[in-house]
Amino acid sequence: MSLIEVKNLEFGYTEEENVLNNISFNIEKGSYTAIIGHNGSGKSTLAKLLSGLLVAKSGEIVIDGLTLNEKNIYAIREKLGIVFQNPDNQFIGSTVRDDIAFGLENRCVPSEDMEAIITKYAEEVGILHLLDKEPSALSGGQKQRVAIAGIMAMKPDILIFDEATSMLDPKGKKDIKALMNRIHQDKKYTVISITHDIEEVLQADDCLVLNKGSIFMHELPENVFKKAEELRKIDLDIPFNQKIKEAFRKRNIKLKNDDLKGMAEELWQLNSNH
Amino acid sequence: MNNIVFGKYIPIDSPIHKIDPRAKILALFILIAAVFVPRSWWMYLLLGVIILSVVLISKIKLKMILKTLKPTVFMMIFLLIINCFSVNTGFVVVELFGKAIYSDAIFNTLFIVVRLLLMIMITTVLTATTKPLDLTLGIESLLSPLKVFHFPYHEVAMMISIALRFIPTIIEETIRIMNSQKSRGVDFEEGKLSEKINAILSLIIPLFTVAFQRAYELADAMEARGYVPDKDRTKYHVLKMNANDILFICFTLFLLVLSILSRIYL
Amino acid sequence: MAIKFKSLSYIYDEGMPYAHTALDDINLELYEGKITAIIGETGSGKSTMVEHLNALLLPSKGSLEICDKEIIAKEKNSGLKQLRKQVGLVFQFSEYQLFEETILKDVAFGPKNYGASEEEALAKAKEALKLVGIKEKMWHMSPLDVSGGQKRRIAIAGILALEPNIIVLDEPTAGLDPKGSIEMIDLFISLNKKFNKTIIIVSHDNEMVFNYADRTVLMAKGKVAYDGPTLELFNNEELLKEHKLMEPMLVSFKNELKAQGFDIPYDVRTIDGLADYIAKEIKKK
Repeated sequence: MSLIEVKNLEFGYTEEENVLNNISFNIEKGSYTAIIGHNGSGKSTLAKLLSGLLVAKSGEIVIDGLTLNEKNIYAIREKLGIVFQNPDNQFIGSTVRDDIAFGLENRCVPSEDMEAIITKYAEEVGILHLLDKEPSALSGGQKQRVAIAGIMAMKPDILIFDEATSMLDPKGKKDIKALMNRIHQDKKYTVISITHDIEEVLQADDCLVLNKGSIFMHELPENVFKKAEELRKIDLDIPFNQKIKEAFRKRNIKLKNDDLKGMAEELWQLNSNH
Repeated sequence: MNNIVFGKYIPIDSPIHKIDPRAKILALFILIAAVFVPRSWWMYLLLGVIILSVVLISKIKLKMILKTLKPTVFMMIFLLIINCFSVNTGFVVVELFGKAIYSDAIFNTLFIVVRLLLMIMITTVLTATTKPLDLTLGIESLLSPLKVFHFPYHEVAMMISIALRFIPTIIEETIRIMNSQKSRGVDFEEGKLSEKINAILSLIIPLFTVAFQRAYELADAMEARGYVPDKDRTKYHVLKMNANDILFICFTLFLLVLSILSRIYL
Repeated sequence: MAIKFKSLSYIYDEGMPYAHTALDDINLELYEGKITAIIGETGSGKSTMVEHLNALLLPSKGSLEICDKEIIAKEKNSGLKQLRKQVGLVFQFSEYQLFEETILKDVAFGPKNYGASEEEALAKAKEALKLVGIKEKMWHMSPLDVSGGQKRRIAIAGILALEPNIIVLDEPTAGLDPKGSIEMIDLFISLNKKFNKTIIIVSHDNEMVFNYADRTVLMAKGKVAYDGPTLELFNNEELLKEHKLMEPMLVSFKNELKAQGFDIPYDVRTIDGLADYIAKEIKKK
């Protein structure tokens, strides 16, 4: 049995129009799934459906054997945590310490245990020196670290990153992506990352491509990029090496290699053979 | 924005900073009552000396208190003028433009001025020595008996603390939107009334749009982290009253009693 | 010369104990008719610099010359509103400035603030909307009901309607999806090439800067760390190392090709340019 099972999911904000159509997929325990798609493809809606922030029109979501419904919603929410896009709009406490405590308070963790938990997870994401800072004194990347610590402190099984790096500067993006990779390393968490950062897909081990509310592809990341032309058709970006291959393909030069060095060698050979 | 000192927390360490916020809030109300009761100058002298010492103990600069008083000067002058016209008891102090000014007019004004001064000092001590968050916790705790009447004291406290948390963010946003509208030729300082209205609309509408979006996202984030408004929660900050806090309240109560006695016997 | 910084410093909260120097003795020229990129880490002074470009901030020391007008520190400077018409500043996340009932009205808001009549303003707005590619059937919709990328283009149209000669864009592609980003880049290139506008882009995206900017200004700790042709900066390994900049991926690939024996011209700066060149070389033989 998979950790997450989604069957024939449909959702729309109005009666007539659907944002998501007939979505079905499974996510295995301990995996890292990237969900990509252009703006408006329905990928963020999917994250909200999984955590019960939105209710589907039809279909079923089963998480760890529990069907998502009004009765199970709180039990399911205990199993998953979401890091949202905007670092400011998920910072609830007046200091880093208080923000991490917010989730613990909701879970009714005894007051005397909180300090140790806060310290533990702050250390894990590298913000121990920032515990007494106010949000206005933190960079975007630091605020996202706080959000991640706040969620990990609630001991979920599943971590959902809903475009968690899209509002950060390059340094922040790099830091958070590296942190996500590290968090996933010992497979303690199942990670779902909704993103349009194509380079991030490379660190995932499963990839779901959404287009206009439907699943366009569900493949291993390396296979997804072999279909660069199809990704281009639905306005998605492709990694740099694929762009190079694409450009040469258009000029009737087919390259076999994927790495920059290999491609350069191939081109030099072509140049010498003529 | 830096000129606003009233209500600002001063992050230093003093014996007053250490007192439990609930004790301080209760003390505030007791002292305000104590300030309003007396009619004797001796009692005011005593209260003045005590409150001034509290200010000094809490390490607040007197300059800061004076700054908060500035806006009240106009009001006090206005009060004096009204009193001069309406009070006709006591002895004549001076005659101006054929109008006699009585001693009670001046005393009455002075009473009010002194009360106001003391009140501002007390309030400043409270806000300057108590973190906004602690203040919220204190209010929440003091309101908690109201749950018998189904008063949502916890939600009110959560609302206050979120409002406090977002004030700097909203100020930042306001400046940003003002700048982008200035770049479109909006003049926030000058212009005809119709232009002014347009200028304000160009600020308010985007500000509201963004604030609503923030609110929705914040609500999602809170809910996703297990917040349910009417569910019980534990607390990270647990307020604990100790003997000092109790003594502090007793001391203010003693002052109130003294004030009442002074009104009766002096 | 479009804009000239002369020994300009800017100090936040000047005279206060927590004063902070954001720009430190800047001497810099931004050239007319070029695409100039301003890059640097968060907090390097880029945004402070941008806010000077249309006089939202005034220098604490030194002066700033914009289109023959000089803004001098500590002096009463008038005519700032007129200056803002010449230098169009598009803020980061500019979509948040939209507020009128219809897209057309929102774009016409700027020209009206500068005294254009209703018809004139609407004519300018229509012109600007066509330029950014917002179709006529959308003009009477609310600006709040369209996609993020479209909102941003409407906000840019709102600035273009003022017909500025210099257009400053702060992170124009931040938060847009790949398609939106490409459209945005195409837009400012055509403004530069077709309409001869001076373009100044503040960006974190070194890849994009390398592809398109004629000149690059690198800010670090409130000072200008590099000012010169973009190609010279990004093609120079030592300069990149010195300023801790990531080498653009295209440069890495060019270096791989050079290592194989290809002789790649210095000014090849886009994937298509490179592929064209190599394909031609291969077919030549």
